[in-house]
Amino acid sequence: MMTSKTMLCRCEDVSVSDVHKAWEAGYCTIEEIKRYTGFGTGTCQGKECLALIASTLVQLGTPADAVQAFTTRSPLAPTPLKFFAADRRDDDK
Amino acid sequence: MPPLLGSTPPDSYPQILRSILPPLGCFLVSRGVPQRLHFVRNKALTIDFDGRPIRAFEGESIAAALHVAGQPVWGRSLKYHRPRGLFCMDGHCSGCLVRIDGVPNLRACMQPCRDGSRVESQNSFPSVETDLMAAVDFLFAKGMNHHTLMTGSSLLNKATQRVVRHLSGLGELPNSIADTVEKSTMLACDVLVIGGGPAGLQAAIAASRPDSKIVLVDEGLALGGSLRTDPRYGTDFVRDLLDQARSCGVTLLSQTTAIAHFCENDDPVDPEQTIVTDSKRLTRIVAKATVHATGSYAQNIAFENNDRPGVIAMRAAGRLLLDYQIRPAQSICLVGHSDASDALRTTLIDVGCDVYQVDPTKERIVASKGHSSVSAAIVQDIDSELQREIPCQLIVIATTPSPASELARQQGAATYFSADGGGFAVQADARGHSTVRGVFACGDVCGYVGPKRAMQAGQHAGRSAADYAEGQ
Repeated sequence: MMTSKTMLCRCEDVSVSDVHKAWEAGYCTIEEIKRYTGFGTGTCQGKECLALIASTLVQLGTPADAVQAFTTRSPLAPTPLKFFAADRRDDDK
Repeated sequence: MPPLLGSTPPDSYPQILRSILPPLGCFLVSRGVPQRLHFVRNKALTIDFDGRPIRAFEGESIAAALHVAGQPVWGRSLKYHRPRGLFCMDGHCSGCLVRIDGVPNLRACMQPCRDGSRVESQNSFPSVETDLMAAVDFLFAKGMNHHTLMTGSSLLNKATQRVVRHLSGLGELPNSIADTVEKSTMLACDVLVIGGGPAGLQAAIAASRPDSKIVLVDEGLALGGSLRTDPRYGTDFVRDLLDQARSCGVTLLSQTTAIAHFCENDDPVDPEQTIVTDSKRLTRIVAKATVHATGSYAQNIAFENNDRPGVIAMRAAGRLLLDYQIRPAQSICLVGHSDASDALRTTLIDVGCDVYQVDPTKERIVASKGHSSVSAAIVQDIDSELQREIPCQLIVIATTPSPASELARQQGAATYFSADGGGFAVQADARGHSTVRGVFACGDVCGYVGPKRAMQAGQHAGRSAADYAEGQ
């Protein structure tokens, strides 16, 4: 069973009402809403939610040309940390 | 609906169906859910899911095997412990994380079945179907605002944090220390193409010149990207394209993901590099020109309980059908309308599915119904606002996919928000030039265009990139 929720970000369980609350609290840009709600910080890193939340902001009245994507962070896909551990170069001590 | 009976698929069937139904061994498809379409398959094997043996075939992903075994819930979400399972089947949505042979948080859709693999669901107690932690969903039925969950007492805060940290998080640590990993390597090439879908394959073919080194990396289990999920193209079409790419001398690196692009040490002598990983090692690729053909991510739309297992992307349904030859379900509610969704609808009906198409001009979906998986879609008439229930086992979402522009953005290429293009699209001209010299983009990453136009754009961008590389 599940209660009625409309999810925008499934990784971090951020719903439409969370984004509306953030908007009402004065957080109106994608970077601000990301920091307030945590959307886009889960395992998919925004692949599933960024565009949906951008559309929500446009619906709330932000002009489309003012909507900016958040900064992308590496790694862009889930990567085992062992690869980075093995990425020592010869000149690394 | 004609029954799929007889030794050969009738000529009246579309080419794509005749290619997926084998010449012999085309059996009567019984009305069950979901189902493999024929018995001429690779080697049979068995995987274990939470102690239950599951029949699978070589070449199937864990996600495909779990889906066809009628197992919708594979894990629970981070905060409210809502059920999670298949959505995009493309390695992007991360809804399908499972623990495989003691390694946590692996994407079930990106892991091939191996005989004897032990697959475990994550984030639930005592079982993924009956998770006591799902009580959080009910306790916070109107949502949990974590900004107001602070307590006044610092001691109580500390105690609460310990409990919360124990309850949340993703999976548990691996059983053992990681295997030895191979040291990272370097690779230099003239043109690096990122993405092996319609745009990328065409770009790589168009970029190839005598004595030039073209490298194409693609994340998927098999090359072809969205072509493998689209009944208008399918696996035969991909095979021809791949043959063409190989005969042009393109180095095709499948199951290889571009995870970062940077310039180390800000040193002009130290060139910019794209970091890719496969299952064995990390590789730093230095390219004279880069073509971003990363395509687009399947998206969900907003409606009540849109995260319920059984709500899947159109490309996931297409992949089940074309790539794995699995009928996704008996009764399907198709939401959204496009040329691609029309083609999928026809193919689904051909394999015996009952498809209800939600006509976006007349009605819209407002909720999914069911328990741990979908049992119905609730649709509302736009004019009368009357709601009705469409019983179904899958809700297939055919909305505009969103450009996969992260890597291009890391490389400095400008993007803009395009509602029609599905999200943040890379700015590129007709010949594929982005706003950064030596960086090219084509296809859905510049705003969703679909495979046909993506292939044309790929040819232009591939030629431009080859010209640029030659001048370096």
